[in-house]
Amino acid sequence: MTLLAPLAAALALTLPAIVALYFLRIRRQTRVVPDLHLWPDQILDRQANVPWQRLRFSWLLLLQLLAVAVLVAAAVQPALSAGTSLARHSVVLLDVSASMQAHDVQPSRLDEAKRQVAAVIDQLGPQDRMTLIGVSSAPRILASVVGDRDSLHRALTDVAATNGAADLSSALRLAAGLVRPGDDARAYLFSDGIVGPLRTDSSNSLPFPVEYHPIGVSGENVGLTSLVVRTGAQSRAGYLHVQNFGQQSRSFSLDWRADGQLLDVRQLTLAGGQAADLVLPVPAGATLVSAHLDAGDVFALDDTVTAVARTPRVFRVLLVTPGNVFLQQAIGVRADVQLDVIAPAAYKSSTAYAMSIFDRYSPPALPDGPFIMIDPPAGSPLAGGTGIGIGRVRASDAGDPLLTNVDLQDVHVARSQDLRLSQFGRALITSPQTPLLVVRDEPFRQVLFGFDIHESDLPLRIAFPILVQNLSEWMLPPSVPSHSFHPDEPVTIVPEPGAASVTVVRPDGGRRSLATSSISTFADTDLTGLYTVEQAVSGKVDRSWFTVNLFSDQISQLKPASRLTLPPIGNTTTVHSAHHGLLEIWPWIALVALVIVVLEWLAFHRGL
Amino acid sequence: MTPLLEPPLLRRLEALALQVRREVSGQMGGERRSVARGRSVEFADFRNYTPGDDYRLIDWNAYARLDRFMLRLFVAEQELPLSIFVDLSGSMDWGRPGKALAAKRLAGAIAYVALAALDRVRLTVFAASPTSAAAPYRGRRAVADLFARLQSLPVGGRTDYAKLVWPIGRQRPGMTVLISDGLGESSMDPAIAALRRARQEGAVLQLLAPQEIKPDWTGDATLRDSETGVERDFTFTPLTQGVYLEALARRTQEIERSAHRRGLRFARLSTDEPVEDMVQLTLRRLGLLS
Repeated sequence: MTLLAPLAAALALTLPAIVALYFLRIRRQTRVVPDLHLWPDQILDRQANVPWQRLRFSWLLLLQLLAVAVLVAAAVQPALSAGTSLARHSVVLLDVSASMQAHDVQPSRLDEAKRQVAAVIDQLGPQDRMTLIGVSSAPRILASVVGDRDSLHRALTDVAATNGAADLSSALRLAAGLVRPGDDARAYLFSDGIVGPLRTDSSNSLPFPVEYHPIGVSGENVGLTSLVVRTGAQSRAGYLHVQNFGQQSRSFSLDWRADGQLLDVRQLTLAGGQAADLVLPVPAGATLVSAHLDAGDVFALDDTVTAVARTPRVFRVLLVTPGNVFLQQAIGVRADVQLDVIAPAAYKSSTAYAMSIFDRYSPPALPDGPFIMIDPPAGSPLAGGTGIGIGRVRASDAGDPLLTNVDLQDVHVARSQDLRLSQFGRALITSPQTPLLVVRDEPFRQVLFGFDIHESDLPLRIAFPILVQNLSEWMLPPSVPSHSFHPDEPVTIVPEPGAASVTVVRPDGGRRSLATSSISTFADTDLTGLYTVEQAVSGKVDRSWFTVNLFSDQISQLKPASRLTLPPIGNTTTVHSAHHGLLEIWPWIALVALVIVVLEWLAFHRGL
Repeated sequence: MTPLLEPPLLRRLEALALQVRREVSGQMGGERRSVARGRSVEFADFRNYTPGDDYRLIDWNAYARLDRFMLRLFVAEQELPLSIFVDLSGSMDWGRPGKALAAKRLAGAIAYVALAALDRVRLTVFAASPTSAAAPYRGRRAVADLFARLQSLPVGGRTDYAKLVWPIGRQRPGMTVLISDGLGESSMDPAIAALRRARQEGAVLQLLAPQEIKPDWTGDATLRDSETGVERDFTFTPLTQGVYLEALARRTQEIERSAHRRGLRFARLSTDEPVEDMVQLTLRRLGLLS
């Protein structure tokens, strides 16, 4: 047993003081009574103001001494050694991701985890500190190096589950950053183990040991993990994937709705681990389709999915070329692009096109808008210097999003204009001799190829259509993407030209205004469901939609991990000298003292 | 000097009369039916004439029919001998209003009712020993003397109810009213038993102060007995209050049972009641007055 406030034992001096008061004799007022025989022989010493008298037995004295003794015992704050071993700095990683909403443990995994964290908080000693981190797609510090248990409890109470995945790697990095060298630190992970991939190599070593407390017992769950709407030759259909992630066979009903109207109800039975793909009709003119299954399982977030059914807007693209089948094919891959191909002689400036591509041709006046210029002829303001031989190419920045999945390993260029002096923009693909492909964002997103793609093996590589796709999507992003996003995934919204206002209406009815002058990134996608983007253009409100769905097999699988392979403990200067937590028992002692005081009060009033 | 009883109250008391269950046995004529035969308008019986009888009582009509001297007997109306015993011991010198003054006023009121009806009143006060006037009071003219004596009587001394036995036993059959707080070391039972033996009908009136019936203080005190002067330390708590009230109730119950066992009326009175209420309400309800 440990005394957290040993100095409070000085209060025990009140014990002899109480006894001393009982040595004092009462100064009594004389009262004449008609007949003394009627009055019982009863004397209690409850006041003392004249010394001295012989100490007599008194229940009041006994109860008062007992009450004070118990109060002193509570005041010194005795604490018992608890089972949990704690470091001086405890870093609690509390999983608040979507899977923690499962209620296979009552009331939910998160509430159970919070209960366990609260127990750890209660065991903190006076010298102990705790950092509380919520583990979600964006880990968040809830309390940083706090010793006050009330503050920690308040922070813990305010925690709510999110709909995103758990990024434990980021949370561990965040925690590692909060631990100073020399700290006696230990981390406690309260999670169901359904977390993002962890890097367990030594380069990601941790400065503290991590104690994993698994939460959850069951993985019995049926979930909808995919819904896409595809347009065929004659009709449109929704492709829905439903899977029983549990071990037991389950029967359930599935509702299929378009714009809220019920279209179909299907009874399904899936054996444990079995999945089913359903093709469901989508009426012409429908804006939104949704599916809901009533499986009565322990996880509701993957029971409802939504998808935008409306066909996205089509971009018109002009390709001016003497002939380039590679480029024509690569651009045509994009479904929302209508490509017009003309010869250079037929070119007339037009504002009808969202993007223009000039292949070995330079118009008299460059258009005010996105364009791709390929090997501009001499005399063009964008033309570079004299052609030079190149050879192998490489990426200027391998991490550039425009080069995502673009493998330049076997790409060669025979000859290119010299763009070293070009002021066009930043190089995307380069060579030791000169930059080969440069891009710029201002005034519009524009691309300049310094070489004729026919003088390269690039069109023969898989990298080419991917590069063209990346460039076109960068230059012509859909105003509002219509596909589904994951919770907490940012959504890029490009305001329509001339939009006076852009507002996003969340599934809960909340409205967020976005800037109209630039491309915006909307990140408040924590809720699943339908998001409506309202843009006021020319006095009319143009509505478009995107959806947020869980769509995660990893989360829907829901089975808690009994073990986690965590990054190793690094060779750091932190101290690992865990001690047992303290279980304070003074509230119970204080309760006993209260009972004794009540008894003393009753005894006083009953004249004992 | 403040009169013992106010004149308006006395006038209202004149409408009352002592109520006896048995016929009285007084020495002088009065307004009460007597066991003796005498002069009145109420016929009682016939008997044969014997020499020495008052020949004025011979029923000449009976003589004419029977040829025998027959005497007509009538109910004699005699006075009611009323004895009032008033406790003026030290314990009666207590309370607000004081028990002694209340006892004197109550005794005066009962005596006035009796004197107004030409009954004979003997007043005896007692503490350690009984003291009574040499002669009984009779007639309205004695009211002033009786009131003056009541007002002048001192209060104090220890109560000894046993010493009432002898003077009670000397009483002629009649009515006796015993006014006391019933407190003290000795028991009232011998005195009440003596009333029965002396063929007294009447009442035992226990007079207590409101502060006795419900003590108005708490805490620690040194209690001093009003009669003996004995002192004792005491702590007054709800618990001890209960014990005291139980003891008082037990004492009252003893007196009441003793009185009822001897065919006497009993009432417990509080000194905060007006004397007129005691007389008009309590004593009339008891059947002592009508």
